Amino acid sequence: MNIIRQTKWTLLELFPEQKETEAAAEETAWNNALAAEAEARAEAAAKDKESVEGETPLDQIEAEMSSIDLIEKGKADSSPEQTEPPPVYDPETHDVPFSEIPEGPRADGVLVVKYASRGVHIDVQCSPEQVVESARLLDQAGFCLESISGVDWIKEEQMEVVYDYNRTDGQFCRVAVRVRIPRAEPLVPTVSDIYAGANWHERETHEFFGIKFEGHPCLEPLLLPEDADFHPLLKDFTP
Amino acid sequence: MSDYWSDVINGTRSLVIGMNITVRELFKPVITEQYPHFVPVMTPRFRGHIELIGNEETGLPNCVVCGMCQRACPSSCITVAGEKPEGSKKKVLTKYILDFTKCSLCGSCVESCNFNAIKFSHDYNLASTRKEDYIFDLVKRLEEQS
Amino acid sequence: MTVPIQCTPDETFVLNLGPQHPATHGVLRVKLTMDGEYVVKAEPVLGYIHRMHEKMAESGTFAQFMPNTPRMDYLSALSYNQGYVMAVERAAGIEVPERAEYIRTITVELNRISSHLLWFGAFVLDLGGFTPLLYAFDDREKILDLLERITGSRLTYCYYRFGGVYNDIDDEFIAGTREFIKRLRSRLPSMYHDLVTGNIILIKRLRDIGFVTQETCRKYGATGPVLRGSGVQYDVRKNEPYSVYPELDFDIPCYPEGDSMARYMVRMDEITQSLRIIEQALDKLPEGPVNAKVPKVLKPGAGDCYCAVEAARGTFGCRLVCDGGKNPYRLKLRSPTFSNLSLFGEVAEGMILADALAFMGSLDLVIPCIDR
Repeated sequence: MNIIRQTKWTLLELFPEQKETEAAAEETAWNNALAAEAEARAEAAAKDKESVEGETPLDQIEAEMSSIDLIEKGKADSSPEQTEPPPVYDPETHDVPFSEIPEGPRADGVLVVKYASRGVHIDVQCSPEQVVESARLLDQAGFCLESISGVDWIKEEQMEVVYDYNRTDGQFCRVAVRVRIPRAEPLVPTVSDIYAGANWHERETHEFFGIKFEGHPCLEPLLLPEDADFHPLLKDFTP
Repeated sequence: MSDYWSDVINGTRSLVIGMNITVRELFKPVITEQYPHFVPVMTPRFRGHIELIGNEETGLPNCVVCGMCQRACPSSCITVAGEKPEGSKKKVLTKYILDFTKCSLCGSCVESCNFNAIKFSHDYNLASTRKEDYIFDLVKRLEEQS
Repeated sequence: MTVPIQCTPDETFVLNLGPQHPATHGVLRVKLTMDGEYVVKAEPVLGYIHRMHEKMAESGTFAQFMPNTPRMDYLSALSYNQGYVMAVERAAGIEVPERAEYIRTITVELNRISSHLLWFGAFVLDLGGFTPLLYAFDDREKILDLLERITGSRLTYCYYRFGGVYNDIDDEFIAGTREFIKRLRSRLPSMYHDLVTGNIILIKRLRDIGFVTQETCRKYGATGPVLRGSGVQYDVRKNEPYSVYPELDFDIPCYPEGDSMARYMVRMDEITQSLRIIEQALDKLPEGPVNAKVPKVLKPGAGDCYCAVEAARGTFGCRLVCDGGKNPYRLKLRSPTFSNLSLFGEVAEGMILADALAFMGSLDLVIPCIDR
């Protein structure tokens, strides 16, 4: 099963509404594809029948010619797929369609984005309450947490925390989980009890941005001096 | 017990092999450069601190005081000043100060220059006990060179 | 050997390792709670050379941050340079000419070898062997000479540019590199492995010490030789191919033991593999330009992207957030040693102090890269 698809469905557990619409969309896509396939097969069968049924010598010759053509074509291409029936449409192996990240504020949900321009396969926007659940789902799926980065969106009065997940078992899928929080009261639950490595990343984000990670065992400054009460990466920070 | 003896035998052998290599290397020629007696020549692309390029004919700096190097510098260690003499259209360089204490030798200034006015010098043995020695006046340096 | 600790807390004492200690390779302090010779709790204290590179990135243009990247990890400077350049290229959609990609691959692998050679020397020095350091530096010096010829500096190379490299390589560099490959290939087994790898003292100090399991690696996000030494065959160059690595034939060395010896062997084998990569890249080196046409003031569109490369110590990641201006809006630098060190506290529990230091050496720490 395609890992990107699998992860997408895993993460859709968080968003039941989007899951329903996605499932419905996928079903119609599947049905459409199946119908198209059936039509194509029926057409092919009808053509075969025509060529067989054609009793006139001219038709026979034509049929022979076409069959010779076909054989020659097959030889020239020398690919076994030519003779085999077209593969059945299967959403399990079907490529997941890409979508673009919309500009401006965006609704919570799972997006499959272009790796070539984004560097990640799946981009999730979620609420602070869903952070721990997303980490748990990804942990069960075998992901590791690569980094946590904060972003200060001063114009929108918001802060963003981006969690970058990655796999190290040979399957290639990167996930970014974003969460937006009000700038006045930046509060996100900790994932350090799920990923032990998140401990230091969260401490770092806390000292640079002042984002509080609820339930974190020790939110002392890590890279800054112990008594640092400033947050240097805030956009309105002046040394 | 057999583990112990195989450890002893293999261990002794590994130490003897190691000693052999060390002794062999001992009689090889010295590979370090004997610095004060032998002064290495820097490669053409060596990035030392910058210096001005003088015009081949007049000896005056090529610099047209556009200020690109000053803007490109990440640590703002370049100060350029020029003036327009009366009757001339071009600006003439009067001051080019490089604060070498802040310079990280990244070469952004040389890359940003469109007029072939600055280059890397090949000085590498710069040492001083005074901080002021590293505020280079490059115009003066060019005059001294020519 | 790990021994379960049986002691009451008041029998312990606190020992400060560092900030100035030769075994920490920089200014790292580890607060060790000790019971005799055994480590009860190890707590690394960071930030002694914190320079806030991420803020510096925000205050300058994209090109102005470039000289900062090699100063994060001064031993594999080019990997960091490449990671940042690739992140900006991804954000701005810049295509790099093929010749430039090959030159990047050759130089970054040379840099990887020089980094591993220095680690090798310093690591054996930690364990008490002085001679191998000098032999490793002898070979490393050859790489520094080669790279100095083309980049202009000996340690903090800043050679890549958006859309290419600073300048083209010449025939002398290619000939010198080929000669170096031959030289190191002959010296690796007869010198490094015979002198050090087979040495009984080294084996006794490293084997079965400092176990890092695959699960620990995953939980802490450890990458690079630490991960490969635990039997996970993961390398960004293979699993997430970038540059021209898909066209080159190389293996990922991987040892399942998970002890310090495994990490040592992974790095030694990586030197061999890097030599293979350089040789192939030199053979395939195409003609052509080394720079794409890039505007002088770069302004990528709004949006963010992530880019990871395999540095000598693991995955170096850049998360670049742009707002359409000429400065990066936010640049997160994910350094591999930061994550690799974070598992030190857990693994070092219950070790003898001398073993804990050997284990720390096998993590290959570079403090400026942790502190950023």
